[in-house]
Amino acid sequence: MKTSRSNTATDGCGSPEHDVHRRLFLQGYLAAGAASIASYSGLFSVPTIADEVKRHGKKCILLWLCGAPSQFETWDPKPGTPTSGPFGAISTNLPGVKISQLMPKCATMMDKLAVIRSMKTEPSEHFQGIDVLTRGDKPRPPFVRPILGSVIAEQLGQLDSPVPQFVLLDPCPEGNEFKAFKAGNWAGWLGAEYGPVRAGGEYSIPDILRPENLTETDHSDREALRKFFSRKFQNEQRSEAAASYNAAFERVRGLMSCAPLFDLKNLPEDDRQRYGLGAFAQHALQARHLIENGSTFVMVANGMPWDNHVFQHEMHQMLVPELDNVIYQLVTDLHLRGMLDDTLVIAMGEFGRTPWLNEARGRDHYPNAWSMAMAGAGIKGGTVFGATDEHGIDVAENEVDNRRLFATIFRALGISHQEEYVLPGLPTFQRVEGDTKPINEILV
Amino acid sequence: MLTAVISPLKHHQLLIYSLRIAACVFLAIGSAHAEDDVDDRDLTGTIDQMLSDSWTAAGVTPAETCSDSVFVRRSYLDLVGRIPTVQEAETFLQDGRSDKRAQLIQVLTTSEDYAQHFADMFDALLMGRTSQRNYDERSKHQWRSYLERVFRENQSWNDVVAEILLARPASNDDRGAVWFLFERKEKHQEIAEAVAPAFFGIRIDCAQCHDHMSAHEIEQAHYWGLVAFFNRSKNVHTKNGPRISEDAIGGFSEFANLEGDSSPNLLTFFKSVTIAEERPDKDAKPEDKDDLYVPAGLDGDPRVPRFSRREKFVDEIVSDHPLIARAFVNRIWAMLMGRGIVHPFDEMDSVHPPSHPELLDLLAEDFRKSDYNIRRLVQTIASTKAYQLGSVKPQGIDDPATFAWYLERPLTAEQIGRSMQLGVRGNFDNNSQIVQQVRQSIRDVMPKENVATVKDALFLTNNAAVNNFINESNDKNHLTLRTLNLGSPQQQAELLFQTIFGRQPDSEEVETVASYLMQNQASQMDRIKQVIWSLITSAEFRFNH
Repeated sequence: MKTSRSNTATDGCGSPEHDVHRRLFLQGYLAAGAASIASYSGLFSVPTIADEVKRHGKKCILLWLCGAPSQFETWDPKPGTPTSGPFGAISTNLPGVKISQLMPKCATMMDKLAVIRSMKTEPSEHFQGIDVLTRGDKPRPPFVRPILGSVIAEQLGQLDSPVPQFVLLDPCPEGNEFKAFKAGNWAGWLGAEYGPVRAGGEYSIPDILRPENLTETDHSDREALRKFFSRKFQNEQRSEAAASYNAAFERVRGLMSCAPLFDLKNLPEDDRQRYGLGAFAQHALQARHLIENGSTFVMVANGMPWDNHVFQHEMHQMLVPELDNVIYQLVTDLHLRGMLDDTLVIAMGEFGRTPWLNEARGRDHYPNAWSMAMAGAGIKGGTVFGATDEHGIDVAENEVDNRRLFATIFRALGISHQEEYVLPGLPTFQRVEGDTKPINEILV
Repeated sequence: MLTAVISPLKHHQLLIYSLRIAACVFLAIGSAHAEDDVDDRDLTGTIDQMLSDSWTAAGVTPAETCSDSVFVRRSYLDLVGRIPTVQEAETFLQDGRSDKRAQLIQVLTTSEDYAQHFADMFDALLMGRTSQRNYDERSKHQWRSYLERVFRENQSWNDVVAEILLARPASNDDRGAVWFLFERKEKHQEIAEAVAPAFFGIRIDCAQCHDHMSAHEIEQAHYWGLVAFFNRSKNVHTKNGPRISEDAIGGFSEFANLEGDSSPNLLTFFKSVTIAEERPDKDAKPEDKDDLYVPAGLDGDPRVPRFSRREKFVDEIVSDHPLIARAFVNRIWAMLMGRGIVHPFDEMDSVHPPSHPELLDLLAEDFRKSDYNIRRLVQTIASTKAYQLGSVKPQGIDDPATFAWYLERPLTAEQIGRSMQLGVRGNFDNNSQIVQQVRQSIRDVMPKENVATVKDALFLTNNAAVNNFINESNDKNHLTLRTLNLGSPQQQAELLFQTIFGRQPDSEEVETVASYLMQNQASQMDRIKQVIWSLITSAEFRFNH
């Protein structure tokens, strides 16, 4: 069909479909006397873009552990010291490396993970911490730095894909400071088109389903009519505004075609059982599904559950095993499907937790020495980078700040971390500021 | 829902007909201004001359003047916020008078729909979009009717600004004016950040932490000065309704810049004076005494401090501040011409110089001289040749700031909701469900750039609001049945296009509609509804052009 393109000089979006469709439409009219209703409907009904070519680009899933998990109960246990909690440490399939006993599954696949135990960042409050660890740097007002997902969607995404490129899966409307953060400007200077589509739980893409009282045929026929009139206007007016407007409608049926991707019920039952039935686990599975079907960046959150100032051990005893299983299932699935080399999985929060307990047996915010983990695209599995001192009070070697972490993430995805953003008439920004070096030790 | 309508349409039609008898109906509406104290034809001519000179200097050939059928749709949308009916358009096209465009502008800008449309626009610009619950509050507390009255009675903008910012109504009839401050719930920084763009046409938000980084003239002291004028104000509920009280003490603080240097929050603002005020020592605890206050003019209203910061602001800073007139004329220019002389219209700082500085000076000066006469300004700009140019961008020109063609612009939610009702059902209610629903989804008013979103396209395509509105239009007077009852597809296509687009379809369009309708006689009504949907979601309807 595409070889029959002709006379598209005035066709703003450059898509041959319009002309082909219009020609068929007019032929349909000319042949109207003979055409059966069924075949005529067929002419009106545009095929959905279900078989969109999937680009083999790099992709990323961020398991956003908002609220900040404890490094002691995850990647950097300190058994037998005053800062240890009640949980022990277990051996892993990496000789000499132990992690918390709450993570037995990850212990069997440490060869696929890279763990940084020497994170040291500045903000000790959630909002500022979230800002720095999702954007990569402190604010430089009045400029709003784009969030990681927006940068990756802009750099690696397929703009013509019907599937949203940056998806935030977060079923929880609340989340204290994270709630406030969610209300802010995520895409920053890249512009709203690189902002996330929010889904998960009660959240879904508004108006993505066809109205019940409208048949599929009517729905596509009337869009064909709309497109015909609207394109005619666009061409005759040479209207850029109409071109942008019509381009938005071009995406409607594509987006509608991916509505099932956002329905948890469409995920295989075994997979759902395997990941676990908690909201975070289910949405991590959905993230895999979205990445498999064309999304570029999926951020999975569940409000701000990790901020355990009270009963930290009890809370972590519930949260960590779920995280352990989710990381294990996700990395294993991506590996078995041959996608791990192209998909970066990141699991982190906005800081760590204090080595000491407060009076409510909670651990408070602690940015001075904490841990995070990555796997997949560009990452060398089986590496542990940096270390903390005996009690986990400070970084003992190879300190990593947010800039270095982001330089590493970008490098792993094949994106230059030193590229400059040029904003007309305004100061220049680097994607990662300063003369920052990625951590080569954990990069392939 | 339509039963309780005040029927602005009828009101409006009456105006049209009565105008044919007496050309100065508008005087009866009770204008606050004498309309003839300045000759506005001179001003219109001067504007056109200035633009024409700028085109000559830039070697630009502007678009041709638009046709009458384009002009009638355009001016109805811009001046009264809706498309014309077929009859209204026909009346205009048949009018043989040589000054019929000027006559139409006169009629439209003195109609009730003008007051409604400008109230819509200024509600969105001054207050922002909000939830339906808050819209109901704005109505209940008479903010909406206050705005309508401003435009209906053509009040001096300088007085309006003072009433809104002083928020001390002289009579209970003016109480709607307090809502600008009241809705912002004592969030004094938010108030300052709203006052600056709404009335001065500048954005000061980023001067909170430091002097503006690119527009250096906007200083951190202006930000905190503006906050200080409002930081003694409190929301109170009185027997007269919501009011803004003011304390006589407190509100002194220091602000720190990024280097950590502190400065006192003096009563000052951009391009203005600093109001003298005694600052107590840091550790002093001034006492709030009764003799610091005088009783309110209105029984039941909160007492007024002898030294009132809001009053000082209004009397000594706002009144005749040069930016008040400049911001307003630039905004009206942007509304009618599709772009401000300073663009964006609410960032009138040194980073955004005017495209036509002398024109801006002229308009602002004239606006001040005319005692801030809003209607006169609207009529003047709409009467220019520049406003009446065709909307197809001439080849070889790219810069919209030349104003060498009519810049197309998306309809606001209210324009869409009203025009849909008018097209499909033949009448409208400004507060109908469809207006409310569209307003919750399509929120932009005078956007910086015309960038359509997929979200809007999804809304228009799949949301129940638009679909149900069309589906439930089954009355014999509705476009659906009127179309169904016509004999030929040709006539059907003509009625649909004339009603919704205000023009005849060409042969290709007739064929397209006919071929679709003729395919299945059994589902004619459904098919007519699909065609109607396709027309009202088409770019031709979605934009003013």
